[in-house]
Amino acid sequence: MSMLEITDITKDYGASRALHPVSLSVDEGEFVTILGPSGCGKSSLLRIVMGISQQSGGEIRLAGKRIDMLPPERRDIAMVFQSYALFPHMTVEQNLRFGLRMKNVAKAEQQRRIAHAMEICTLTGLSSRMPRQLSGGQQQRVALARAIVMQPNLLLFDEPLSNLDAKLRDTLRHELVALHRRIGATSLYVTHDQAEAMAMSDRIVVMNAGRVIEVGTPLELYRSPRQAFTAGFLGQTNLLAVTASGRKAHLPWGQLVDLAEDAAGPGQVSVRPESIGIRACDRGGRDTGSCAPATVAGVSFMGASALYTVAIGDTLLKVSQAGGDALIEPGRTVALSFPDRLPLLEDRAPDREAA
Amino acid sequence: MSMLLRDRRMLLPLLLAPGVGYLLLFFGGPLASAFIGSLRLEDGSFTLDWYSRIFTRPSMLRGLGTSIYFGVAPVVVSLLVSVPLSLAIRRHFVGRKLFSGLYKLPLAVPGIIVGLMIIVLFERGGFIDRAIAPLGFGLPKLVRDDWGVGVILASVWKQIPFMTLIITSAFAAIPEDIRFAGRTLGASRLATFFFVEVPLAMPGITAAVLLTFIGSMGSYAIPDIVGPPTARPLSVLMVEEFNLGRFPQVFAMGMVLSAFAVAVLVAYYTLTSRIGDAHGRGDAR
Repeated sequence: MSMLEITDITKDYGASRALHPVSLSVDEGEFVTILGPSGCGKSSLLRIVMGISQQSGGEIRLAGKRIDMLPPERRDIAMVFQSYALFPHMTVEQNLRFGLRMKNVAKAEQQRRIAHAMEICTLTGLSSRMPRQLSGGQQQRVALARAIVMQPNLLLFDEPLSNLDAKLRDTLRHELVALHRRIGATSLYVTHDQAEAMAMSDRIVVMNAGRVIEVGTPLELYRSPRQAFTAGFLGQTNLLAVTASGRKAHLPWGQLVDLAEDAAGPGQVSVRPESIGIRACDRGGRDTGSCAPATVAGVSFMGASALYTVAIGDTLLKVSQAGGDALIEPGRTVALSFPDRLPLLEDRAPDREAA
Repeated sequence: MSMLLRDRRMLLPLLLAPGVGYLLLFFGGPLASAFIGSLRLEDGSFTLDWYSRIFTRPSMLRGLGTSIYFGVAPVVVSLLVSVPLSLAIRRHFVGRKLFSGLYKLPLAVPGIIVGLMIIVLFERGGFIDRAIAPLGFGLPKLVRDDWGVGVILASVWKQIPFMTLIITSAFAAIPEDIRFAGRTLGASRLATFFFVEVPLAMPGITAAVLLTFIGSMGSYAIPDIVGPPTARPLSVLMVEEFNLGRFPQVFAMGMVLSAFAVAVLVAYYTLTSRIGDAHGRGDAR
């Protein structure tokens, strides 16, 4: 059953439209991430759901009840802000207690919930600290605990990890996922970080320019995106213009590949760097047939893998190879192998900037 | 000069001289000479008489009380206007820019002009009185009245812009997300204001209150022009003593007023620093 149901929400600023009719739903206990570049409208949408920004049209239902006309304090939603927004004049415990006091929760129950939240957010021993005496990671946990004690129908996260350094962000990402498994709160999470979205979410809603582009599980969206934008935004990819006829398509340099379904005319395919096979050709040039046009133009060693830039015809391809014995030096000719059954993307216009 | 600068013992006093020296010369000097003057009889011998007169003579004691009253009452009224005004200015409305510019105008108007303006407007037979007379209404005595309503009106008119300016920036310094956080945690607009915004804006509000209090407690022109003839504040009595040529008495009264202002400031600093330690408000803003 869907806990949150957003239907045709729009947001206009004067004549300009920040959100085109946006619809999405979050099931009970599900962790859904809205992913998109900055300015795509994801934070606006979150603030509209919270009630601290007004939609121009559309409706929002939470647990079956229409909430879009209610003030934020009556929506039964809690939010974790990007800036944490802790009350600087209150201790950690007072921060946690604030919402419970406002909702007139009984004293004993307050105590129980605070103790529980302090424990699962690993804040034990910090209850009398002031926010400014805490590290960024600790402040983040307090913000989370302060939302959890409310036991809301829905938890909103507005890029809560983006103010932290890379290592801490990674740790907290895992903690957040573990915590979500434990308390099972229905969560809507906003981020521009595709790695974060893929690591944490049950489902991802990809947004761009005020529209929902595509919705799916991380695996679906990564492996078989239907939209060029999704393919380019989630991880790295090669977006290639093709000319299709039947089950076959010609890559820009003339090579023939298999398509997943019948098609005709110009189109676009997405090929992940790691799904292209790369092999250095013998210096003697015995297998010239498949080797001739492709040359390594550059290589960066990433540790677990090597990322090659390969020039083929007028195209520069990104090719990643994991676990190779030795790097292929720039200038060498290489043989490339492409995966079978490539899906044709729905967005026809090649959009290299997104990649 | 370069020799002087190289000498470490000389360097510090030299560097401090432009700031501290200025203060000593133009603030410390007059204050010290006034203090010494307040302790001398005509023949130059030591006395505490001038002080004891302030605290024993009924007219003087009344003057001290009036000074405090003229300090406190306008501040209370100004505060009640300035806080809602600050909140209103924060919101967007048509003509907000014009309003934000206009409300600061009284800052530039001298106290004596404000006093005259109050007389023209609120005196019986004045502008407002005549305007409402055809309707069968009349103004009560508002100028030179026993409760000092005229003084309060004039002071408030002058204080509100200053107070609003400081309080507006105190509220503006609170991040929007913190206000929103209050709302998302179940607090209504009003509850968020009282439990989140006011505590965070408190340092600014207190500063505004104290500064206007000190200013209006020592003001001369307004109470002299529109104040009640029966209760004169110390500042007005000082000028009377000055005209009688009793300088040591003037010095003593000035010292008492200054001591009062300094005491209030010290109380403010100890209070806020203690709150800062206990609640960590220091870094809050």
